[in-house]
Amino acid sequence: MNGTSLSPTLATDALCMSYGQRRVIEDLGVSLPSGQVTAIVGPNGCGKSTLLSGLARLHKPDSGAVLLDSQDIQRLPARQLATQLALLPQEAVAPEGLTVTELIRFGRQPHQGWLRQWSSEDQRVVQYALDAAGLEDLADRPLEALSGGQRQRAWIAMTIAQQTPLLLLDEPTSALDLGHQIEVFELVRHLACHGRTVVMVLHDLASACRYSDNLIAMRDGQVIAQGAPAEVVTPALVRELYQVDCTLLLDPDTGSPLLANVRRLARPE
Amino acid sequence: MANHPSLTGVATESHAVPNHAAEYANRVPAPEGYWHIALPRWGYSFLLEKRALAVNIGLLIALLAACLLYLSLGNVPLAPSAVIPAVLGKGDMMTAFMVQELRLPRLIAACFTGAAFALSGILMQTLARNRLATPGIIGIDNGATAFAVASIVGMGVSIAPPAMALAGATTAAVLTFGLAAGSGTQGYRFIVAGIGVGAVFGAITQLMLAQVAIDTANAAYPWTVGSLNARPGGAVQLLGIGLALGIVAALALARSLSLLRFKDATASGLGVRVKARRLQVLMLSVVLTAFAVAVAGPVGMVALIGPEIARSLSRARHVPILAATLAGALVMLLADLAGRTLFAPVEIPVGIVTAVVGGPWLIWILMRPQRSRP
Repeated sequence: MNGTSLSPTLATDALCMSYGQRRVIEDLGVSLPSGQVTAIVGPNGCGKSTLLSGLARLHKPDSGAVLLDSQDIQRLPARQLATQLALLPQEAVAPEGLTVTELIRFGRQPHQGWLRQWSSEDQRVVQYALDAAGLEDLADRPLEALSGGQRQRAWIAMTIAQQTPLLLLDEPTSALDLGHQIEVFELVRHLACHGRTVVMVLHDLASACRYSDNLIAMRDGQVIAQGAPAEVVTPALVRELYQVDCTLLLDPDTGSPLLANVRRLARPE
Repeated sequence: MANHPSLTGVATESHAVPNHAAEYANRVPAPEGYWHIALPRWGYSFLLEKRALAVNIGLLIALLAACLLYLSLGNVPLAPSAVIPAVLGKGDMMTAFMVQELRLPRLIAACFTGAAFALSGILMQTLARNRLATPGIIGIDNGATAFAVASIVGMGVSIAPPAMALAGATTAAVLTFGLAAGSGTQGYRFIVAGIGVGAVFGAITQLMLAQVAIDTANAAYPWTVGSLNARPGGAVQLLGIGLALGIVAALALARSLSLLRFKDATASGLGVRVKARRLQVLMLSVVLTAFAVAVAGPVGMVALIGPEIARSLSRARHVPILAATLAGALVMLLADLAGRTLFAPVEIPVGIVTAVVGGPWLIWILMRPQRSRP
């Protein structure tokens, strides 16, 4: 909502990361286009979640760097990074009894301090986040009383209130049924319309094709394809990623690729 | 989708951020349930939660009433109307002596230890994201006690009990952390490791007492159950200073503490330096428990009851630091009053009173269904 041109760029440079003892990301260089929705996909254990945690500075790289506007994020103060980049971790949990508005207000914390606890800007942005996520009527409900989709929208609303140009989501729909998934994806599209850069790790290739502008396909800690879904998704890519054969169709309405007749490889490679 | 038309994609216009800056210039509406106090001249603004204010004032009044009761009741009952002048050194000499020399020091020790245990408790619970994870349960009380008892029964060391308690508490905390390796302060591994460490230190204390002369063991006995009967002089002053600084530090950390209740990734994403904050909170909790144990021995149950009372009275948005501290002082005071008076002239150590009350309380906490607040 600050206009696309001001959005900072996020990229990695020769990034190497480990999960425990195991090296999961090896010499990875990737750039995330501003103002677009990027989906990171790949088989289990391909390093996609580790990459996201590196982008959010949750884990320190072994070597290489994550660059925010060409600056190593390891050198940024925590508070300053939190005004540039918001993160929604997988299966976020909140303290018992917290209401939707109370949760969203935490999103303002990087902009506040002990001596600046509330401003007209805070008030305005919290209201905006409530509206944008369609939660006006649920504002005072405790999170436990919401449906899965509503709760996930409340979490995303918290990151909206953080007012960062960059938003990272780790499998935002993994525990949701189809209807609730669509709620979340449409909210994500809505945010991108307002100039935010969204990066999400997704399990489901079909949703990634449908809702992202830019797809990053990973395998064994490497990026094996990147670009618009309609251009990069091919039966060969699907086979390489997931060891399955499929037939690709084009969605008659949106032109995005659809996977049909997915089956195990006749002869595993 | 019908219930939130904003997501249909065409609603962009209505969702442009409205700029009411001019409208709000004079008065920023506070969130519901808060007062907004702004000092625009310096750019300062504060939010005061109405509920928290009411809870803290209510607990303070209850604490003052309990203080009056504490000073009045005892072997020689005094009229409350005579107690207040006596506190100020006026009125009948005998009454003034009894209040100022006998009851007031013990009252202060009770308030300070109760407050310190409860504050330490709510800090540790927040850190561990588990309401069972009080310093008493994860072995810190027992570590402090073992070291303090060692100095009293003269196991070759003669450092003052507070310093020994601090050394013991730190040792226990380091051991618990070491044994919970990798899993940090979350999850059951930390608690189970702590219970083990606490059991070992408890056994060491018993072993020391079994080896010394019966008189020495008797002298050290109140330490093992928690009592306000034998208070080392300097320890109370030290606790007072520690508690005052601890409350200030905890309030300074309050905003981070609220976020530490979430997952590390969430807190980190909101700009909290999680590792540094966790270490600060842990150290604060260990020091408070150590100083409190140096005065009263392991009355760890207060660390469970105080925060629980505070949370049940408060809203979920913040960690109720002050309310827990006040509730801890109140519980300790009432427990010691009961111990002093119920079976007079026999005195029951405060640690036993809190255990008798706290045990069933603990069971109730564990058994009651998860409630959702209105």
